[in-house]
Amino acid sequence: MATTSLPAAPSPEAPRRAGSAPTAASTSSPRDAGQLARKHHKVEPVFWWMTIPTLIVFTLAIPLPAVMGIFYSFTNFIGVGNWRFLGLANYVAMFSDPQIRASYLFTVGFSLVTVVVVNIVSFLLAVGLTGRIRAKVAMRTIFVIPMVISGIVIAYVFQFVFSNAVPAIGQALGIGLLKESLLTNPDLAWLAVVVVTAWQAIPGTLLIYIAGLMSVDEVIYEAADIDGASKFKQLMQLTLPLVSSYVVINTILGFKGFLNAYDIIVGLTAGGPGTSTMSVAMNIVNGLTNGDYAYQMANATVFFIFTLLVSLLQLSLMRGRNKK
Amino acid sequence: MAVVAAAALAGTALAGCSASGQQRIVFAFNKREGIPYMQKVVDDYNASQKKVHVVMDTSGIGTTAAGFVRGNPPDLLLANFNNQAARYVTHCATIDLSETAEAKRVRPAVKTLVDGVGECPGRTSAVPYSIMAAGVIYNKQIFARYNLEVPQTYDELIEVCKTLKAHGIIPFYGTFFDSWTVSQGWFDYAAGGSVDLKSFFNGLDAQGTDVGPDSAVSFQKNFLPGMQKMMVLARTYSNADANSRIYGDGNTAMAQGKGAMYLQGPWAFSEIAKTNPKAQLGTFPLPMTNDPKNLKVAVNVDLAAMIPEQSSHQQAAKDFMSYLFQPRIIDAYNASQLGYGPLTDSAAQNDPRVSGVQSYYQSGQMYAGPSYVIPQAIPIPNLAQSMILGADPKGVLAVIDADWARFARRQ
Repeated sequence: MATTSLPAAPSPEAPRRAGSAPTAASTSSPRDAGQLARKHHKVEPVFWWMTIPTLIVFTLAIPLPAVMGIFYSFTNFIGVGNWRFLGLANYVAMFSDPQIRASYLFTVGFSLVTVVVVNIVSFLLAVGLTGRIRAKVAMRTIFVIPMVISGIVIAYVFQFVFSNAVPAIGQALGIGLLKESLLTNPDLAWLAVVVVTAWQAIPGTLLIYIAGLMSVDEVIYEAADIDGASKFKQLMQLTLPLVSSYVVINTILGFKGFLNAYDIIVGLTAGGPGTSTMSVAMNIVNGLTNGDYAYQMANATVFFIFTLLVSLLQLSLMRGRNKK
Repeated sequence: MAVVAAAALAGTALAGCSASGQQRIVFAFNKREGIPYMQKVVDDYNASQKKVHVVMDTSGIGTTAAGFVRGNPPDLLLANFNNQAARYVTHCATIDLSETAEAKRVRPAVKTLVDGVGECPGRTSAVPYSIMAAGVIYNKQIFARYNLEVPQTYDELIEVCKTLKAHGIIPFYGTFFDSWTVSQGWFDYAAGGSVDLKSFFNGLDAQGTDVGPDSAVSFQKNFLPGMQKMMVLARTYSNADANSRIYGDGNTAMAQGKGAMYLQGPWAFSEIAKTNPKAQLGTFPLPMTNDPKNLKVAVNVDLAAMIPEQSSHQQAAKDFMSYLFQPRIIDAYNASQLGYGPLTDSAAQNDPRVSGVQSYYQSGQMYAGPSYVIPQAIPIPNLAQSMILGADPKGVLAVIDADWARFARRQ
């Protein structure tokens, strides 16, 4: 796992390296010093001081509860009192549960659409915000504000907008489509979740794209101008390939984040109308509070394996890209 | 205040007993509207004796649940007795209170109601403190203006709706965006008014995992007629924007006389009074059949007392519980919250806003709302909402049947 993620790290540097001084020579000397130090002391004591407490806290907070959760997924435990082993009954019931199937379908579909929307909008915004425009810093600040607002607050504000403001506008302008709140339409409510999630997620993605675009050397564009390439052609054939590693990072981070969708949906639709926007994470959390702990732990275990497979798939795709 | 409470809580968690030999017990109570009253009761109790110091924890059922898991629950719970709190009872995580004087004062009809929500065989685990009786909240002025009588049958109800609609008045004010208002009001009243819920749930339990289209008892068979009537009321006789209205909108609208009827419990009265303290309101049971004998009121055990097995101060908790159940304290509480006393010696509820359902409660013509009884693993609020927003009732009820069977299979 650790080795596969390493090739990703240097790749954002690649475009910058093309335009600036070579780095290979400058990194070699500290590494020699490190090897020397290692010969004299076996391990720096500070290493243990920093690692052990972190390791203990991490183990207690993440892997240990996870293992306990997996254990209880084979029982009928509700969080208190007696329990007994059920074998695979929870898993069998889960795979025949239409609501859980629907929640996976919704979560994956929503994540795919949102990741595409977020990346396209962020990329175009980043191109605009790194161009020669006035009040660039002020504009960037404004665009980043949604990132620092809590998701639940955003969700409640948008719930009011969708339930009251948008229908009022639809009424005033006579646009029939807007008269009914999007949030009460079981077939379209997921679009509202995409819009609000994207609104919150775009700034983070935007910052990474701005960093990526700023690392592209201006000289390349000057050369392209001289060769007579149009601005659109420059965008598609120069900028996009040069920041492709940033696209990969944003896609992976975004997709993984959206799979865990929770707070925005809770505030915006509470999984409704009906169960049409119930995400996997919401089902799991509900299981803890409503006495279906073991069953939803089975769900969590399956979801863990699912996200693990998605991550491995993405990592292998990324490795393929980096080899090019 | 909060800091003191938090510090006291922390002290309790660590020590349990203070150096002076005084016992500290934690009393979990989180009914928002009742907190000022209960805080005063606790303060009075602490001042009246030196042996026990009671600390009130108002942080909610989530914290209580975590306390149970950690083996450090509150010493006394006075909590809404729904299927969520009832899990502690059904898993026998609370002690038997059958020998207490308070348990012996409970009216038999109320005891049946409590046991229907959850029981540990052979024990009296929860002693009811406050019962809420819910029905249709109606605007008496609007009814008087059009010479309308309180309807006793479903046909009379439809006539009332037609008259109101003809005069441009919204018959029912719906707040369908908040799914709990659909399950608590519309779904529960429609089911409770048309089905004998006690024998229905007994039938379901007897069938075990065998619940479906061909079973003797099922949601899709027994609930369907009531749900179809509910759909008529919701779609034909409710406000056009009901789908996007929330609970707060409904309370404001009722305070302003924008709707004639409202399917909410007595807790809504204090909210309505915030906008219009002079609103003249009353309550009647929703008629779902054409026989007035079938009229029943939806009740829920709004508060019940429980003492966890894991408490190390059970006797002190019992002593404080006796204090809480003194007639002057429990009666004053129920009078202020528009609740009904569950005891044989409880005072009558005389508030005109809820007196319309008093006789039904007294004579035991009542049912526990199915949304309080069905395990929460089945998302009744969401499913009821999808029905009221237009999904086919038969299909949704079939989903509930399948969920019920699936839940029974993994118990």
